[in-house]
Amino acid sequence: MTISFILNGEDVNAKVGSVDRLSDILRDSFGLLGVRSDCRCGRCGRCLIFLNGRLVPSCIVPAFSARGKEVITIEGFAQTDDYIDISSGFMDAGVVTCGFCEASKILVAAALLERNPRPDADEIIRHMSSAPCRCTDPESIVKAVQAVAERRARRIYRRAGQ
Amino acid sequence: MLSVATVRSPVARGSVRSIAFPKLPAGYRSILPADIPGRNRIVSFGAEVPILAQDAVSYVGEPVALIAGPDPIRLEELVAGTKVFYESEEPFVNWESFSSEQVAAKRVAISGDPELAFSIAGSVHEETYTSGAIEHYYSEPQGAVAAYDYDKIAVWCATQWPYHVRDSVALAIGCRAQEVSVRPTRLGIHLDGKLWYPSLLACQAAVASIACGRPAKIILTREEDFRYSPKRARSSVSIRSALGPSGELTALDVRIAINVGAYGPLAEEILSQAVLSCSGAYACPNIRIEAYAVITNTPPMGAFGGLGASHSLFAIEAHANRMAQATGEDPADWKSRNVLHKGSLLLTGEPLKEEPPYEALLARVSAASDYRRKYAGYELVRKRRSGRSDGPLRGIGLALAYQGAGPFLSVEASNSYTVEATLDKDLLVRILTSAAGGAGGVMEVWRRSAADILGVGIEKVSVASPDTDQVPDSGPSTLSRNVSVVNRLVERACESVQKRRFRDPLPLTARSVYRVPKPIKWEGGQVSGAPFDTVAWACAVVELELDAWTLEPRMLGVWLCVDGGKVVAPDRAASSLRSSVADALGACLVERFDPSADAEGSAYFRYGLLPMQKLPPISIEFLEPSGREAVKGIGELPFDTVPAAFLSALAQAADSPFSSLPVTAAAILKPLEST
Repeated sequence: MTISFILNGEDVNAKVGSVDRLSDILRDSFGLLGVRSDCRCGRCGRCLIFLNGRLVPSCIVPAFSARGKEVITIEGFAQTDDYIDISSGFMDAGVVTCGFCEASKILVAAALLERNPRPDADEIIRHMSSAPCRCTDPESIVKAVQAVAERRARRIYRRAGQ
Repeated sequence: MLSVATVRSPVARGSVRSIAFPKLPAGYRSILPADIPGRNRIVSFGAEVPILAQDAVSYVGEPVALIAGPDPIRLEELVAGTKVFYESEEPFVNWESFSSEQVAAKRVAISGDPELAFSIAGSVHEETYTSGAIEHYYSEPQGAVAAYDYDKIAVWCATQWPYHVRDSVALAIGCRAQEVSVRPTRLGIHLDGKLWYPSLLACQAAVASIACGRPAKIILTREEDFRYSPKRARSSVSIRSALGPSGELTALDVRIAINVGAYGPLAEEILSQAVLSCSGAYACPNIRIEAYAVITNTPPMGAFGGLGASHSLFAIEAHANRMAQATGEDPADWKSRNVLHKGSLLLTGEPLKEEPPYEALLARVSAASDYRRKYAGYELVRKRRSGRSDGPLRGIGLALAYQGAGPFLSVEASNSYTVEATLDKDLLVRILTSAAGGAGGVMEVWRRSAADILGVGIEKVSVASPDTDQVPDSGPSTLSRNVSVVNRLVERACESVQKRRFRDPLPLTARSVYRVPKPIKWEGGQVSGAPFDTVAWACAVVELELDAWTLEPRMLGVWLCVDGGKVVAPDRAASSLRSSVADALGACLVERFDPSADAEGSAYFRYGLLPMQKLPPISIEFLEPSGREAVKGIGELPFDTVPAAFLSALAQAADSPFSSLPVTAAAILKPLEST
């Protein structure tokens, strides 16, 4: 079947089969390689995307269920101010990732800050656990997300003042 | 590009009679061992692993054939429709007791007169310490791509050892090594899990590419990677120790068995490192060691955050805590009395060159963790406790260990490793090495070293992509070698450039070559040679509270103090060590599976890392270097210290000794039930 949905802000169509995973369609049909598809059971968090604003592992989302919805991948999210806040905050806090989990960590941080603009350390740790990886130490990720929250709050405040 | 899927052995041990493929559509082709144009073997540290098993199979999931074709999903169906006819044999599962045909490597070492020491010992203590298999759990599954690039075959894969990939592919396709170009891709976190296995996949991809005349890629699914790629080898270390009348360590009798799975590709190296580290940080005049690398019919097992030393260091440190307990001493005091000193003879007969900074490490870590007061307090509570509901079950444990770094112990001395540095006219520095930086910030260490020596900004220093056509052979990149060997080569090359800098015109290029100084020799129980170039030390304290009813150890804190010589990037190093401490705690608590009992593959769905929310505050400190010390490898120290400190803390909390990792709720329940 052919489905239509909004992908990173653009209306797109895709031909999908009944057993196709959304992650595969995003990678193979649209070349969005920031969506990794490693565990294929929703555990590793490398294929996270925003589906209608909710963070979901796209490897366990049937492709046809994206019909009429809005999908944002890391490539689309990278065009936003939030992305700049998060990626620069991570860099400033010295977060070193293996490179493979970075996109999922950024998206998890974005989802968390959307829900709670001032999360405490426990909440950060709890959320970041959904993108498990051996590469990142918890202390630096907490510092990084708290720094991002500050930076983001200042930006929103400045914008509101304009 | 064609995808390649693997047909795997359904049995753990047996012989393949025939393989019946379903009717392959046009554009698809099967590849059998007979299609390999060169040698159907890769060689790793002296052991040989077949690229495709031809007659005998040695583990469930061993590759026996490949199918190449354009559609990966169709390939999955074709592999599922392929039937492998076999004759199965009884697999080797046992490894703690084993038959002689299972021995892949053996080491015996004797120093002093252990028999006499045991006969006059004040007390003798005996225990067996086991540690389980650990999955590397890197984010990306392993894979390789191969394609012709004009007159060469080019291979892309994430590997710690690009020249091993090059030589293996050349042997497999029967060409000269210079006709293969390896272009390593991003390595990520490898924890020594990508030493030799990428070479196997690269050979399979190259063979498929040549057979089909098109570029070919083989990418394991995460489940395949989990089930069939190497894991940390399991080990069992039995220690019998003799103490003198005042509690000093007088003799050790150690038996080590390491389950290296099928073929034992790293068996020699793992065993050598395990034996040489087996007395840990302690001076012991009489030692007898018998060590075996044991073949079983599980996927090949190997390294994890170091090769073999952590098996022994964990065991001896856990045993040291137990000996201290038996003498009624605070383990810190017992260790203080028995620790190695400058000039103490090592197993190889070499004297220790530097005084271990044990007292300084202990002072720092004790002050940070309040170890001595807590230990005494928890001991008092433990002795007075009437049952598990009587007060908090708390414990604190301390462990001391070292990380020796240097050349591989089982590679011939003729092997030399090279790094090249170039300073060009724009004062840009380029470092050429085949060593892979991974994700641990090692590249920053190399860049800073070069920048300091040449007096340029770090932003002017770059590390070239480790393409074998462009860079010299710098040997395999393991956690410690990258710092201890490769960084030293970077420094030497840059120093050589600096000497000529104002004498000769730019650009200037210098090469630095490392040759194994004095290889280890094993002859009739006598070991000789210099095992390590540099030794880094660490002391760890772990504090925990045991929930008496859920049996869950709740970690309260981990403190690690490290003597790592000159620490080039302290923040990066501390962050990396914190991650490793988290991994070491995971190995103590949750990372468990038995590869020999996972034929149906369900462990993949159960296996996971320790969730971040269960991690305690982790404090990392570095001792300030005294004078101009070298940069030392420190990445393995958490794996060498934290598990033993954890077991010691748990033993105090549960008032019962533990000797196996990971610790299960059943193991904790047993002693608590009796109280």
